[in-house]
Amino acid sequence: MMMLNLMPTAFIFIAAAFLLLALPKGPLRAALLLLVPLVAGAQVWSLPEGTYGQFDLLGLTLDTMRVDKLSRIFALIFCIAAFLGNLYAWHVRDTVQQLAALLYAGAAIGAVFAGDLITLFIYWEATAITSVFLIWARRTEGAYHTGMRYLIIQITSGVILLAGTALLYRETQSIAFGAMTLGSLGTWLIFISFGMKCAFPLMHNWLQDSYPAATVTGTVILSAFTTKLAVYSLARGFAGTEILIYIGAVMTLFPIFFAEIENDLRRVLAYSLNNQLGFMVVGIGVGTEMALNGTASHAFAHILYKALLFMSVGAVLFRTGTSKASELGGLCRTMPRTAVFCLIGAAAISAFPLFSGFVTKSLILDETANEHYPIIWAVLVFASAGVLSHSGIKIPYFTFFSHDSGLRPKEAPVHMQLAMGITAFLCIFIGVYPDTLYALLPYEVEYRPYTMAHVVGQLQLLCFALLAFAVLMRSGIHPPEIRAVNLDVDWIYRRFLPRILGGVSTGLSQLWAGLSRALHETLESIVAFLFRVYGPDRGVAKVLPTGSMVVWIAILLGLVLVVNYI
Amino acid sequence: MDRKPADNPDSYPPLGRVLMWFTDPANANKIFGALAGICLMTFLADFTYKKYGHFAVEYIPGFYAAYGFVMFTALILAAKTLRIFIKRPEDFYGEKAIDCESYPEEELEQVGHDDA
Repeated sequence: MMMLNLMPTAFIFIAAAFLLLALPKGPLRAALLLLVPLVAGAQVWSLPEGTYGQFDLLGLTLDTMRVDKLSRIFALIFCIAAFLGNLYAWHVRDTVQQLAALLYAGAAIGAVFAGDLITLFIYWEATAITSVFLIWARRTEGAYHTGMRYLIIQITSGVILLAGTALLYRETQSIAFGAMTLGSLGTWLIFISFGMKCAFPLMHNWLQDSYPAATVTGTVILSAFTTKLAVYSLARGFAGTEILIYIGAVMTLFPIFFAEIENDLRRVLAYSLNNQLGFMVVGIGVGTEMALNGTASHAFAHILYKALLFMSVGAVLFRTGTSKASELGGLCRTMPRTAVFCLIGAAAISAFPLFSGFVTKSLILDETANEHYPIIWAVLVFASAGVLSHSGIKIPYFTFFSHDSGLRPKEAPVHMQLAMGITAFLCIFIGVYPDTLYALLPYEVEYRPYTMAHVVGQLQLLCFALLAFAVLMRSGIHPPEIRAVNLDVDWIYRRFLPRILGGVSTGLSQLWAGLSRALHETLESIVAFLFRVYGPDRGVAKVLPTGSMVVWIAILLGLVLVVNYI
Repeated sequence: MDRKPADNPDSYPPLGRVLMWFTDPANANKIFGALAGICLMTFLADFTYKKYGHFAVEYIPGFYAAYGFVMFTALILAAKTLRIFIKRPEDFYGEKAIDCESYPEEELEQVGHDDA
């Protein structure tokens, strides 16, 4: 254990990756994938606060392990997520996916513990490079292109982070990763880099584009790390930055409309993930101790219920070959346990009392009200009803209930049920015993989520929203699930810009062809003119006889004489 | 997997048979009635305790109920309108997207519940 404590947590994952390659394919590898997050989690749990693992690189001191309450809670939930994701993926024998899952979790934990911006950058890029293989592992043409789009955006975010770090270093002579104030170009670049990974509005579409394209198990693993790493980085670097309140509020709002009409349920969950990040970003923007507690606890709870929802939809995809709402329905008959787990995830994300979302989201909502942001508060309450609509109702209802699709798949495999069962248990446990989670938060918590006003208010909001859903369904107003895609910002770089670039390149090549043709014709006419004038048998080139010269001289002399006489 | 429209509850797991009750159109009215009853109870509960809140609106009885109902309906109507503008055929992005391709079967275990 002593040896282990000296080792940066990320290195445990890297070392395990080599070990994995040495093991034969099969249960041994799958067991290693479960063991590593447990060992890493034990290390994270036992490490006292402080900075470890310092070393010098090109005259700069890198802090690879900065352990404090904020980094610890994120590292801890990352270990739990890695364990649950790997348990869910017990059946996977694909080395690429296993390595990617291991190294991706390691990189994310490494980034969370980074005490300086260079270390953060290295792990930041590592999360991008390792995670893309969870998309490519689907091994289809569509997944390849989607993975490329994902990788370009993720790598760009890292490059912007590096540029920001360089500018900040020139300004402050420091690469420490601490609280920053927006102002200089350097801090803005770092802020934008975090925002890209956090799926800020207009920079969000990589999330909805790529997560549904990953493998069944890949999406569960993807959902935990990248965006929550960005949330952690914003909380570390930009707590109390007011613009985040407004960015976060917009983030909670716009995805709920898209989620409502999206057909691919894994994409619905990606929109829903985006909306949940919005709540966390608002908490960071408010920036008080209680708000930051709200963000950290909400990230913790969110990773669990979001993974649970992705797991249940993934299990359906695993058994039926589709995750499209238009093709599903009535699966509660033969996949009842998956249905119950999905309902628990739905209740947790919708923040029903006694479920995890209720005890964490309340912290953010209350603090927004405490700090007098009435409009933001109203937006967040509305967005809470929106969460119920797509994640609370749409996902379980159109998959497991609704009309009978005629599909009669077998219940999910035992290891998937186990992973979902543990995750579902944690969602309820946190909801029933919130103090267990509150004790892990960065700051002291004095908060009671279970007051009469709170519980009744939340139940009213959710039950009446459910009633509205029932009324809309019965009256046929609720939009049906249909096979279609919906345009979003990604249309700009997937369709519009390629078209524009295509048009511009065609135009340029036509212009070039025209210009070179004109030049060619001009040159030809010049050559033809010169030929006409100087060519053989032409006027200038003619050889005149000597006699004619004498005649011309005589004429000139005669003229001179005539002029003289006059 | 073959689509089997015939319902054969005897072959379903016990929990499946319980959950199936909720999908039966004959029970839709009962479920709706129960939901409406719960809604009424949460509304009436507002009069049983001393309210506190940060904003004046929170003191109006049934504020959260009205807000939930109205905003949920508004959300659905707005999303439905949005669909008119942004809906495209599933193959809109062609081969460069996963929307039209089927998930590789070798990665899946597509088994029916009564398959041996």
